[in-house]
Amino acid sequence: MKAVKFAVIVGASALVLAACGSKPTTSSSSSTSGAAGGSATTSSSKAFTACMVLDTGGVDDRSFNQSSYAGLTTAATANPAIKPSYVSSNSQNDYAPNLTAEVNKGCSTIIAVGGLMGDAVKAAAAANPNQHFAEVDASSSGANVYGMEYNTAQGGFLGGYLAAGMTKTGKVGTWGGLNIPPVTIYMDGFYEGVQYYNRTKGKNVQVLGWNESNQKGGTFSQSFTDQNKGKTISAAQVQQGADIVFPVAGGAGLGAGAVAQSSGGKVMVIWVDTDGCESAAQYCPYFLTSVTKGITDSVDKYVTAAASGAFPTGNYIGTLQNGGTGLAPFHTFDSKVPATLKSELDQVKADIISGKITITSPSQPK
Amino acid sequence: MSTAATTRPGDEVVIHRVVEKPMSTRRRVGIGVAISVLGLLSLLLGHNAQAHDARFDLSQGSEFFHVPDLVLPVAATAYVIGIILLAVGAYQAVRGFRPRGLRIAGTGIGALFMLAFLSWAASGGKGSTIDLLGVLENTLALAAPLILGALAGVLCERSGVINVAIEGQMLAGAWAGAMFGTLMGRFGGVLTALVAGALMGWLLAVFAIRYLVNQVVLGVVLNALSLGLTGFIYDAIMQPNANTMNTPQVFQPLQIPVLSKLPLVGPLIFDQNIIVYLMYALVILIQWGLFHSRWGLRTRAVGEHPKAADTVGINVLRVRYVNVILGGAIAGLGGAFMTLGSVGSFTKGITSGNGFIALAALIFGRWSPKGAVAASLLFGFAYELQTLLSLVAPPVAIPSYFLAMLPYLATIFAVAGLVGKVRAPGADGEPYVKE
Repeated sequence: MKAVKFAVIVGASALVLAACGSKPTTSSSSSTSGAAGGSATTSSSKAFTACMVLDTGGVDDRSFNQSSYAGLTTAATANPAIKPSYVSSNSQNDYAPNLTAEVNKGCSTIIAVGGLMGDAVKAAAAANPNQHFAEVDASSSGANVYGMEYNTAQGGFLGGYLAAGMTKTGKVGTWGGLNIPPVTIYMDGFYEGVQYYNRTKGKNVQVLGWNESNQKGGTFSQSFTDQNKGKTISAAQVQQGADIVFPVAGGAGLGAGAVAQSSGGKVMVIWVDTDGCESAAQYCPYFLTSVTKGITDSVDKYVTAAASGAFPTGNYIGTLQNGGTGLAPFHTFDSKVPATLKSELDQVKADIISGKITITSPSQPK
Repeated sequence: MSTAATTRPGDEVVIHRVVEKPMSTRRRVGIGVAISVLGLLSLLLGHNAQAHDARFDLSQGSEFFHVPDLVLPVAATAYVIGIILLAVGAYQAVRGFRPRGLRIAGTGIGALFMLAFLSWAASGGKGSTIDLLGVLENTLALAAPLILGALAGVLCERSGVINVAIEGQMLAGAWAGAMFGTLMGRFGGVLTALVAGALMGWLLAVFAIRYLVNQVVLGVVLNALSLGLTGFIYDAIMQPNANTMNTPQVFQPLQIPVLSKLPLVGPLIFDQNIIVYLMYALVILIQWGLFHSRWGLRTRAVGEHPKAADTVGINVLRVRYVNVILGGAIAGLGGAFMTLGSVGSFTKGITSGNGFIALAALIFGRWSPKGAVAASLLFGFAYELQTLLSLVAPPVAIPSYFLAMLPYLATIFAVAGLVGKVRAPGADGEPYVKE
């Protein structure tokens, strides 16, 4: 019996600590009840409660959860009437209960983060037609759902063009975490950018690890956390001759930074989603640039507009034009990127915006 | 199958000799057919090859003896290997190798088939060279945490305690290595990683040995504990102060003069960082110690038949405590390899299931240190092959999801064909209670 008791204690403490991992500063799915919802609505009749349902990975994942919540807090700083809160999802099974709990709480708007939550949002929106929803990384699935998507193939295109212009070996590499559209859209853009450079310049820069015409192929780490694997994949691409690597794999991509560091400056990395010099500062000297995804900005704009009473409807698609994707500053490489290449990049960007260059990635939001 | 213990005069070491029944005809022919199928596949690869040559770079980084690139005529290589494999397969089907011979032959067959396969793969892309040294170095980097994790498992399970918590012990080591490696220097990091792993091992030991908790359930719980604890500390301390808490210096390779200049083996064995050298030492030490030292004999006795060990005066519980805690420390070193020997920062769940693969390598390696090393290397190679095949663009495009299955396919093939029946230590997972 003693044994059983101890197992229970260990198990319980493990669960408590696991829960600590996701900072229970705000309501969790289980603690939200009808009573709590009632008090929230009565006590803050003027306030605009913006509730966020995060995907797995936690609020500080240095990726889309963090960027999304940053947008919410930015809006709340500018407009004190906005009361931000979030709940984390520990697995995909939490999506529906979390959304339902937020509906019961009486939130002014509910922002769901992550394309995987699409079906759960659609169901919740259909069941609660008067509740406003927004979803990051998915298209609108109902009149009361505002979809926010990002055509990161456009940013990736610029990254590919830049890489092709900067490589000394004539080979550049890219690899992803999983072969899923939010990842491969970056790789498509990168691939196309290199091909465009080859076409206009008559060069033959090769892309290792991805070929847009073979969507089932490509190099993937099958993990977004395994930095050691990310390092060996990046090393393999360098061994095959690449001197610029573009990992699209969240934390696992940090392994590329380690390869660049040990190469002593021969290898450069293009970071993804956020400006690498801010999110992974230790490798900043090796980041040529970053292909960004403007989640923070678009969430901020949505919440600010919604708090003023005008709920945006339909879809937002982040593009080069509206700053929803693009290239981060060159930071340490600012002096090393030739001025002609910079002006060419500006031209390419203008051509993508004007439609002169068409991007063919099958993963683009429609 | 019976286990005979024989004592040689003047030698107090006991040697286990496994007497195996002669292989059944069906199994013998089956294995022969499987080898022949590989031979036929090689012939097919030779037929399908596009370019004439496959280029292997053998000597990147070694200036001492420069070995020219190995250029193999693909079709001829694959045909020759195919014919050899067919011949070996026929011999196996008709006469049959002995178990030991089969294992050696199996390794050779695997290597030959890999050569044919890689030649074929390299013949597809224009001008793609396979950097053989790079492939082996990446294999080692991927296998190192698995080897250390599997050694941890060997120590625990040989003494009769199932260690499902390797993942958690590695994670604790990776965390401690990164955080204390930043605060106290990287040697301090390694030391604290050993301590952190040992502490996780101690928890396992106390609950498994003293409180007789079901060891598999306990292991799962300890993994959750480690994930939650390190994740919490990462969120609360390391991430907000990344520059002062999460930027350990990574160990750079230490070249051993002269030896490191040997082609291929030089850089692989004599140009590694200190954690890998430690790993080599541990593999040799544990392999020797387990079968040739007093500690090893006691460990195996306690793991096979604790009651008998107790009657001859061995303190069963103490042997188990010591082994489990030592095992935890070694798993912690495996975690430190990730943050101090490879990348240089900790992130949540950085071990990403490597501890569980290590557990598989332990079983696949038949609970022996050298078997575990071989299995870990095979897993590491399968991961590397997955990357390599996606990069060199073989003549036939292979979907990435199929490549992702490679490590597991390799396991199934090797377990079914080479390893045969595996047997865990007799008292593995059974708590010992003195009557």
